[in-house]
Amino acid sequence: MNLKNRWFLLLSFVLIFGVLAACSGNNESSSTNEENEKDAEQAGPQKGGTVIGAMDTAPSGQFNPVFYEEAYEANILDITHEALVGQDKTLGFIPQLAKDWTFNEDHTEVTFHLQDNVTWHDGEPFTADDVVFTYKILSSPGYIEAGGIRSYYAEKLLGYEEFSSGESSEFQGVVAEDDLTVTFKFAEPNVKALSDAAFKIIPEHIFKDIPIADMPAASASRNAGEVIGTGPFKFTEMVQGEQYVLEKHADYWQGEPYLDSVIWRVVDQAVILGLLENGEIDFVAEPNGFQAADYEIVEDMEHIEIIEQADFGYQIMGMMVNHRAKGDMTLDPSKWTVNEKLKDQKVRQAIAYAVDRQGIIDGLLYGKGTVQNSPIATQFWAYDDTNPPQYEYDPEQAKELLEEAGYVDLDGDGFRENPDGEEWILNLNYPTGNQLRERSAPIIEEFLEEVGINIDLRQPKEAQSYFEDLEKNAQDWDFYLLGWSLDSTDPDPSGLWSSTAAYNYSRWHNPDADALLKEASTAPDAFEEEFRKQKYSEWQVEFGEDLPALILYAQNKLYAHNSRLKNVDVLPYNFINKTHLWYVTE
Amino acid sequence: MYKYIIRRILVFIPMLFILTVLVFALILAAPGDPFTGKMDPNVDREVYEKQREALGLNDPVHVQYWNWLKGAVRGDFGDSLIYKGRSVSELIAERLSNTVYLGIFTIFITIIVAIPIGIYSARHPYSLLDYGATAFGFFGLAVPNFFFGLVAIYVFSIQLGWLPAQGSVSKPGLEGLELFFNKLQHLILPGITLGLAGTATYMRYMRSEVLDVLGSDYIRTARAKGMTEPVILYKHTLRNALIPIITLLGLEIGILLSGAVITEAVFQYPGIGTLFISSIGNRDYPVIMTINLMLGLFVLVGNLLADIFYSIVDPRIRYD
Repeated sequence: MNLKNRWFLLLSFVLIFGVLAACSGNNESSSTNEENEKDAEQAGPQKGGTVIGAMDTAPSGQFNPVFYEEAYEANILDITHEALVGQDKTLGFIPQLAKDWTFNEDHTEVTFHLQDNVTWHDGEPFTADDVVFTYKILSSPGYIEAGGIRSYYAEKLLGYEEFSSGESSEFQGVVAEDDLTVTFKFAEPNVKALSDAAFKIIPEHIFKDIPIADMPAASASRNAGEVIGTGPFKFTEMVQGEQYVLEKHADYWQGEPYLDSVIWRVVDQAVILGLLENGEIDFVAEPNGFQAADYEIVEDMEHIEIIEQADFGYQIMGMMVNHRAKGDMTLDPSKWTVNEKLKDQKVRQAIAYAVDRQGIIDGLLYGKGTVQNSPIATQFWAYDDTNPPQYEYDPEQAKELLEEAGYVDLDGDGFRENPDGEEWILNLNYPTGNQLRERSAPIIEEFLEEVGINIDLRQPKEAQSYFEDLEKNAQDWDFYLLGWSLDSTDPDPSGLWSSTAAYNYSRWHNPDADALLKEASTAPDAFEEEFRKQKYSEWQVEFGEDLPALILYAQNKLYAHNSRLKNVDVLPYNFINKTHLWYVTE
Repeated sequence: MYKYIIRRILVFIPMLFILTVLVFALILAAPGDPFTGKMDPNVDREVYEKQREALGLNDPVHVQYWNWLKGAVRGDFGDSLIYKGRSVSELIAERLSNTVYLGIFTIFITIIVAIPIGIYSARHPYSLLDYGATAFGFFGLAVPNFFFGLVAIYVFSIQLGWLPAQGSVSKPGLEGLELFFNKLQHLILPGITLGLAGTATYMRYMRSEVLDVLGSDYIRTARAKGMTEPVILYKHTLRNALIPIITLLGLEIGILLSGAVITEAVFQYPGIGTLFISSIGNRDYPVIMTINLMLGLFVLVGNLLADIFYSIVDPRIRYD
């Protein structure tokens, strides 16, 4: 990572010189380009052509939606495979392979009617049995042991426990009523039924005879030409680790794609911009886009369009409210011990006032980020940007709060002592790997020392060691830096912030907050979005006041694409959307 | 001679065994495992715990080592913990060929550039070309690989469009001669980048060795006997001057085959180096172990080859 970023800087230099040198020539050619483009646009979408996308790391090579894990594979699978439902720009669920759906009275069942003209890439028809098969795999005994992590899509299905443990051989959770009708049955009313139905479907006829343990290694999960989906492009060829070729699926159910092919190339971060400039690659998007530091360079490229949007995720400075004893791997708040150093809510609030988050965004992220005051992605209907405390940078307020709480500098060394008059030092822990985060740590230290808090900035640790310590050996930690990527399907933050969540590293235990989270996803009230919104709003206020973590910033995603690529229609969480409508003007 | 080689090869076995024990102990002692860094809020920690159990990561260290060793002696190095569904052998094989091509190409250009220039510099010391070569030598040693690589990409790929910037081949499905030349094209920039420092080093060595030998008594005697310059140079000087170079090359083979992390990364050239580094970061134990074993073997073989070449170049050296 370090190295990558350094290369980056250097290349930026080189690029600047190049841009200066090539300036006059560019202007002439761009004006003719524009005219050509206008002609082309009037003519409407054209068939044919290839676009090349860049990603900075090679996919690990697992192209089965049931088993893949990384964003790099997702770049390919998002084009080749589809789910019953998709999401629109407001994150509402929209028909994809299912054309419509109906819930039963108590929301324990949802019946999907499938599109009737869908074929797999190999020509076989897509049917309800494929849906049943996919969810059966997710629920099967041995699925997790084989390396699968997506059982959470199936956990709420009726009979999941019995089936996944092998007690019962009958899979009752998803039932095919006929070829084009499929019903999901849940053990209890399910508020997130549509999220659960948003999993990419795999073909039964390809996988039915492969034992689940062998599935990740099967050629149908790995080899170009054998990976079969229903999406607008099929994965036909690859040079492993370098290039992945997707060719159009002419019988695509939403109409034949305009483009002949979409090719993914693996390109080093430091070279992406150069290749974007000379037209060798057409777009760069998920997961890393391009760096904020290069924004101006990209902006100056005449033929490149930039798309900037908020990310689903944020960086936090967690505050350890409680500590879990060494060796305790359970999630039982009654066994935790209070962190005396941070137990006062006022102290935590003072810390929030003391850090100039907008300053960090302007300085480190070149302004390409947003201050966020609650841990729900800002794009969601559930995000409340007004009621939770905003904690605008206010060092005076911070000092006042600290005085009120009894933290005063008694010995005149510039640092406050605790209410008992003892030395008060808070340690700040952070991992290496994310350059911006690494650089934010000493800045935070400075902000906090400014209001008289003595900070022990610990040596950064390599990621794996850091996470191991965070999980097991954090008994003397006060602050920790960490980033979270969030899911785009449902705003429920309980996986990170309920007191019994494994990832609640602050060991925050607030029964009121827990109760709100629970209510917000309990039927039947929670079927009303307004009700959930209200509960999440109350929860966000509670979070903001109690502050188990300060949300530092949410970095914006920066995508770029060549303007010859038309009909780019990004989703809040993905560049790839409706690729069958993409076309190019030459 | 053959006895010597066989004896040397037999010594490899205990050495490699000790190497695997040490490396295994070290990587398991490092904090974390392949699952520590996986933190998906949707995924219950129990899921990862089950996978740990299934992969045997909760077994005692000696049991894990024994399981690995049992497979390894039969040539089964297990499956990668990170690259799901792919065996370690497959992962390494896929990248080893690239690394070997790059290594051979690099050594090739190092030799054809460094040795003639070194000889010329020694024969015409303090000439313009000698000064030029010296300047190039310092440049080659001083400039960092990644920087040279990026500049080379910028100039030759992005501006001039002569050579491909990234990867080891331009598209899937190439065959025969076309594939060969395409791969060769992709080797030029990373090969030069990687060979730069080596070329500079060998050039300097060659110059000083040849100068040294040329000044020695037996060369003066040879001259006095009336031998022609070419005979003196190629028959008497070169052989002696090459001995230290061979030692260096022997080591270099091991180093080049272990991959060139930085160069590979700049050019996104899929070789062993980047695989090795990322598996260490991910704690992909079977991959780390196997690459280590392989590299250990390369270093030993490289040294053995150097020893054998000594006896060819210098008849005074005999192994019995």
